[in-house]
Amino acid sequence: MIPEALCLARKDVTLLVGRGSGLAQSFLLGLLLIFIFSLARGIGEDFSAQAASAVFWMATAFCQVLTFNSLYSLEEDNGQREALLLLPAPAQHIWLGKALAGMFLLLAAQFLFAPAAMIFLDQSVRGDMLLGLALLLLADLGLAAAGSLTGALAQGQAARESLLSIIIFPLLIPLLFSAISLGAGVLSGRAEETEGWIGILAAFDALFLAAGLALFGFIYGAQE
Amino acid sequence: MSEKTFPVLPCLAALGGLAMGAAQLMILLLAPEEERMGLIQKIFYLHLPSAWWGLFSFFLVFACSLLYLRKRDLFWDNLSEAAAEVGLVLAGLALLTGSLWARVSWNTWWTWDPRLTTTLIMWFIYAAFLLARRLDFTPERRGLISAVLGIVAFLDVPLVFFSARLWPGSLHPQVVTNAPSGGLDPQMKLTLIFCLISFGLLWAALLGLRCRLGRLETLTEACLGACLEARPQTASRLYPEEGEKNG
Repeated sequence: MIPEALCLARKDVTLLVGRGSGLAQSFLLGLLLIFIFSLARGIGEDFSAQAASAVFWMATAFCQVLTFNSLYSLEEDNGQREALLLLPAPAQHIWLGKALAGMFLLLAAQFLFAPAAMIFLDQSVRGDMLLGLALLLLADLGLAAAGSLTGALAQGQAARESLLSIIIFPLLIPLLFSAISLGAGVLSGRAEETEGWIGILAAFDALFLAAGLALFGFIYGAQE
Repeated sequence: MSEKTFPVLPCLAALGGLAMGAAQLMILLLAPEEERMGLIQKIFYLHLPSAWWGLFSFFLVFACSLLYLRKRDLFWDNLSEAAAEVGLVLAGLALLTGSLWARVSWNTWWTWDPRLTTTLIMWFIYAAFLLARRLDFTPERRGLISAVLGIVAFLDVPLVFFSARLWPGSLHPQVVTNAPSGGLDPQMKLTLIFCLISFGLLWAALLGLRCRLGRLETLTEACLGACLEARPQTASRLYPEEGEKNG
């Protein structure tokens, strides 16, 4: 399953990076959100680690919507969905391929968002950086799995960005709660406050990985 | 001549209406006033049945979604939509009554409480579910998308609950479950059980009526489609753009 999915992910990343505009749009939206929310801080006031983490994950969530919409639009806009289904493998490979591509692009976006949040929201990492990175990967895995499944749901509609947003944001709440709390714990250096959240994050990942594998075929594959 | 059948839905609706009326009387006259909270506590008799039947509706959406994926029968899709609509109304009612109660008891309209948060997130999820159904899909595609969403949404609910429980600031009382006797005066308990049954009857009537409406909607669309196919001139007058598209 992995080689086909990787091949598909490479194709999507190459196309999106090559075109640039769709990717730049999602990156810029995230950066703008971080900047705009930095205005909530009055002169001389501190921005709490919790608030900074919330702004960072909100920027990531908006970026995720645009990223997965762009990923599925590659085939949808050109009427090539059937061509994608001709891949000599079950439809779940498409879900995994899109999820891997989305995760890579989200990580690239977060590579920009993290320093932007540090600068605009006046934060520094007091906790374990490696732990923070591992938790970021765990959260991104859930975002990618959920984004790839719901991204396919919203296709074929004129208002697919708004549809994707209203479908995915409420579903992401457990992941966002966990990621925000864990992010705040890493930023403030109080890792003991993060106990319990890792379990929620892992459960969310497991749920959407299983849902993607079990249900993607119904909405995108030949089972329709 | 069609055989006359027993009018189940009107009877259920009438029974539900009468039971709701009787429930209001029980709340006002039979159930004693709670010592500390006073009159506002009586909102609990509407709040709890709304929340429970709302949650049950969402479970029904989940079950119907599974059955639709298995059988591909539009009946399950129709039932799932009806359950989601009734559930959304009841969850909205639970949020509204809960918020009114919270303002008096906790001095706040809203707090990050697990059950409050879970109900609100469920409300958002199923509102999105119903919005997605209103988009321009074929009935089969709509059924598939709704079924997938109905399954994922319900499986996500326990995670929302546990994550909200970890979030600091829970104030919600455990009225029904934290004592061996249920923590309620016998008259209060009787009123609550009667309210639960009344809401159940009303819920079943609303669900049945909404299902019937859904079936009639599908039938009307099918009849209209067949009529327009038989009379293309009328079709081109009603939908000139479609006619141009088809040449």
